Amino acid sequence: MNETPTNPASDEKLMLAFAQGSPEALTELFRRYQQPIHGFFRRRVTDPARAEELMQETFLALLRAANRYEPRALFRTYLYAIALKILRAQRRKAIFRAAFFGRPEAASGPAKQDGTETSVWVRRAIAQLEATDREILLLREFEQLSYAEIADLLHLPINTVRSRLFRARAALRQLLEAPVPQHASEKIFPVGASS
Amino acid sequence: MIAAEHVVTPEEIMAYRDGELSAERAEVVAGHLQSCADCQDMSDVLGGASQILTSWKIAPLASDASFEGRLSKMAASSSSAKRPWIRSRFVTFGGRHPFLSGLLGSVAAIGLVVGVVFALAQRKYAVPLARTKTVTVAELSDNRQLAQSLQTAPADQAATSSEESQPQEMQYSDVRSRLDSLTAQRDALLQRLQMEQLTSNLANPQATPMPQPLAPMIARTVSLFLVVKDFEASRLTLDAVLARHRGYAANLNASTQQNAARSLQASLRIPAADLGSAVAELKALGRIENETQNGEEVTQQHADLGARLKNSREAEQRLQAILLQRTGKIGDVLAVEQEIARVRGEIERMEAEQESLEHRVDFATIDLNLAEEYKAEIGAPSPSISTRFHNALVAGYRNARDSVVGFLVFLAEYGPLTMIWLAVLAALAWFLHRRWVRATSLTL
Repeated sequence: MNETPTNPASDEKLMLAFAQGSPEALTELFRRYQQPIHGFFRRRVTDPARAEELMQETFLALLRAANRYEPRALFRTYLYAIALKILRAQRRKAIFRAAFFGRPEAASGPAKQDGTETSVWVRRAIAQLEATDREILLLREFEQLSYAEIADLLHLPINTVRSRLFRARAALRQLLEAPVPQHASEKIFPVGASS
Repeated sequence: MIAAEHVVTPEEIMAYRDGELSAERAEVVAGHLQSCADCQDMSDVLGGASQILTSWKIAPLASDASFEGRLSKMAASSSSAKRPWIRSRFVTFGGRHPFLSGLLGSVAAIGLVVGVVFALAQRKYAVPLARTKTVTVAELSDNRQLAQSLQTAPADQAATSSEESQPQEMQYSDVRSRLDSLTAQRDALLQRLQMEQLTSNLANPQATPMPQPLAPMIARTVSLFLVVKDFEASRLTLDAVLARHRGYAANLNASTQQNAARSLQASLRIPAADLGSAVAELKALGRIENETQNGEEVTQQHADLGARLKNSREAEQRLQAILLQRTGKIGDVLAVEQEIARVRGEIERMEAEQESLEHRVDFATIDLNLAEEYKAEIGAPSPSISTRFHNALVAGYRNARDSVVGFLVFLAEYGPLTMIWLAVLAALAWFLHRRWVRATSLTL
């Protein structure tokens, strides 16, 4: 993902180039990370349109923060940290609105929109995991982040990340083997992330 | 699942599959997996879970050329209009040191507020000063016109016109003293003119069939507040001024406190004809802080008093004639004598009043306030260190006691209300926190 044979510049070099005044570098980064960031939000937000908006917000935040960028970590970690912050802000807003105006009707979940039967089953199983375990599992399996990157993003010790990841995988395996209860099937993941 | 005799933990097997083990441990785990069926099963289970997760696919996002174009434009404008170096440094500094930047921001805000308040205070005091100067200039021009109209001092007129040609170079104090002397001359000339008119009227009564009104009787009062540099010299000059103009001090109070500026309050009585020159000499003592001049017209009052006095004297004469010519009962004689005594008393009271009035007109009053420009002396005696510590301790005890009492009074006054509101807000916060915890437990 980081480097391609046709464009060998690393993400970090591109980001530094953009910070020093090259707009083409940001366009290249957008092309590289548009789909992964969209997937990140799409797996965590119910509304597809909202997921796309959040992806765009992430890149706009990256644009605004370019002056403060320092290549202390991988660009990928930096970008996912921004995405995670935006996701949390989005959830806070949703919870705030729900607290004062009542919980809005959940939009039709991704499972009913574009998923196959298998993916619906998987989502329901993931929805039953503990929140932090679930986030660690998603970051590892779909965003392909290393243990160290996950620990950095979630501000957890690396050993905690490893043990929780193991617990999440074991629990997921058990959930996938067990018959899915009817009430659980009504629960569409992610629950509190409707826009 | 894994027996105790296994040399690797399940988590290590998972980490080995994820490529997160060190080379040394990876070698150990790889060797163990080849020999241990249970651990191989565990590895397969973990691999199966990851395999299943790959079935959750997200449809790729259709390429949004409009957003990409917008992003490119924003990136181009952002890179062409880079933030100034200092601004970007500020942002970075604020992000890294939020506490320090907050502290610096607070100090800057307090400094700004103090500066604004100070500037406003300066402005407040500057406006009256400017107004005073304007009034003084108007007064000067009035006096100048009056002096010109009287045509009494051509030399001074010439000087005035030359001063007008160069107003910037003219010193304020010079102008002030010059015009004061002009005013004094004007007053003296007016009085002389009135006296001449009065004399001519008396000499040729037929020449003026209509009686000319007498000169107005004006009791003048001047109030001066001066700041002087040399207090002793000013005091001597004050005595000299009084002697020269044949005046006197009706009241004088000098205060000479230790380690403080000396001051003097005096009520001076100066012959009215010499008032202008005396005031001019007094003003030369130091810087004028405040000056007020009043003139009370007492002509009517004096005329009334004279008429009443005349009537009372005539009444007294009539009563005395009655006493001499009439004979009657002793009671009537006593009654007439009593009436004579009463009228006599009234006459004397009115004569005293008339005399006082004339004295007020003849002698103008100058209320003088002298203050010294205080300069602290290096060798000035100060309280001993033990006394100062004692005083400081007493003051500290009083401050602490007042502070505690004030706090308790505040608690008694606002405590119940604060508790009620805290309870309401705490209940609301607890409710929101519960909802937050429930929601985040599901969504990270």
